[in-house]
Amino acid sequence: MFTTPRLILIALGAAINCSIGTIVYLVKLPIYLDSIGTILIALLLAPDRMAAFVCAWAAGWVGLAVSGLINPFLPWFAITDVAIALVAALLIVPAAATFRARPARGGPFAFQVVLCGAVTGIVSAIVSAPVVVYLFGGVTGSGSAVVVALFLKDGLHLMSAAIMSGLTADPLDKVLQVLLAALLYRATPGEFITLLRAPEPGAAA
Amino acid sequence: MTPNGGFAVGLILIALSVVEPGPRGAAVLVALALAFAIIEVRAASLLAARRAALVVLPLALFMGLVWVGIVGEAPYQIAADAVGTRAAALVYVAKLSGRLFFIVTVIQLVFLRFADLTPLQLIRALALPVAVKRMLAITLSLIETLRHAIDRAHIALIASGTLTRAPSLRNALHSWRLIQAVWLSAVTIMLGRMRDKWPVENTMARLDAALAHVPARVFAGDDRIWLPITLGAAAVTLLADLVGKP
Repeated sequence: MFTTPRLILIALGAAINCSIGTIVYLVKLPIYLDSIGTILIALLLAPDRMAAFVCAWAAGWVGLAVSGLINPFLPWFAITDVAIALVAALLIVPAAATFRARPARGGPFAFQVVLCGAVTGIVSAIVSAPVVVYLFGGVTGSGSAVVVALFLKDGLHLMSAAIMSGLTADPLDKVLQVLLAALLYRATPGEFITLLRAPEPGAAA
Repeated sequence: MTPNGGFAVGLILIALSVVEPGPRGAAVLVALALAFAIIEVRAASLLAARRAALVVLPLALFMGLVWVGIVGEAPYQIAADAVGTRAAALVYVAKLSGRLFFIVTVIQLVFLRFADLTPLQLIRALALPVAVKRMLAITLSLIETLRHAIDRAHIALIASGTLTRAPSLRNALHSWRLIQAVWLSAVTIMLGRMRDKWPVENTMARLDAALAHVPARVFAGDDRIWLPITLGAAAVTLLADLVGKP
């Protein structure tokens, strides 16, 4: 499972999650962009869903551990990363062929990006809401806290506001993330992908 | 103290802060963290506090703006359908910020405690499976590689006229190209290493041999003092605020 190329991929995915996610967090946009690496890993390891899930999950958690030094809220959303890795392995991996098709087929490409992004966003919003409400009372440091605040001002209850905020921001955020991951996947050299999919004799299990 | 002991003490302190102890429990927790800072980390504790303040202060300002400025009431007041006040919102944000400051400070204290070890020595000393240690070592070694990749991609895009050195609208428009170029640069660097450099130098076998070291005891030395004290303090923290309650 954890061949040397895959370990390197996990580290690269975690680095993408950290770098882009931290920039977005610091400028307080109401989106996250902190799972592009996780989704990209799942795509690069297609069609092996188990490897895609485990490696995407590992990258998500390594990224959380590192990003947690700048954003102390982030590590508490570890379960959200597991959900994103699972959805990526089950739903986004089958779209890998469409994302890499040459020449690109605009219609199916856009359809898969929107479908995968929307489903990932809805799952992520539902999984994150209890953490936002029960652990932090709705108070988080990301830009989406403003959306929660606006829903609360509108008279919604805390859990409803957290879920509504998630359902407003997450699908858009995840569509963007799937699009960026798909574009990076298209640009990745085939030689690297072959290396990732090949078994490595004697590798750490 | 071993890194295993340091991380265990840090994890217990963080876990206790998350369960939101009452005033007495919080006092025990802060006293224990202070003792750890003074005895184990000494002067570098100030650096830990400064770094934690740099992380948490902007966050506290942002949360204050949203919750005191926009919402004007504390989450528990909203949940209870009670009349909310800005003062309650301010207290809530202050408490949350205090908790985050504590967590970040503890993380910094634990890392500063082992600042004299190289990253490889620290990973080697941890009681973790070799595969996990290998992943940590590769992740750390990739940090420099990524810095190189960013420099290369940035300079190449400036040379091609796609980006400018100074902040500009063009940079914002073409930021995606920078991300793509960094990714491709990093992938090609790693491809070259895996295909040519590492097999010749036998790098991975050497790394595995270095990481295969298993400490004779997971906890040793001062761990045997700190861990019982921390676990005892955990019990006191959890029970302190129950004393005297009906």
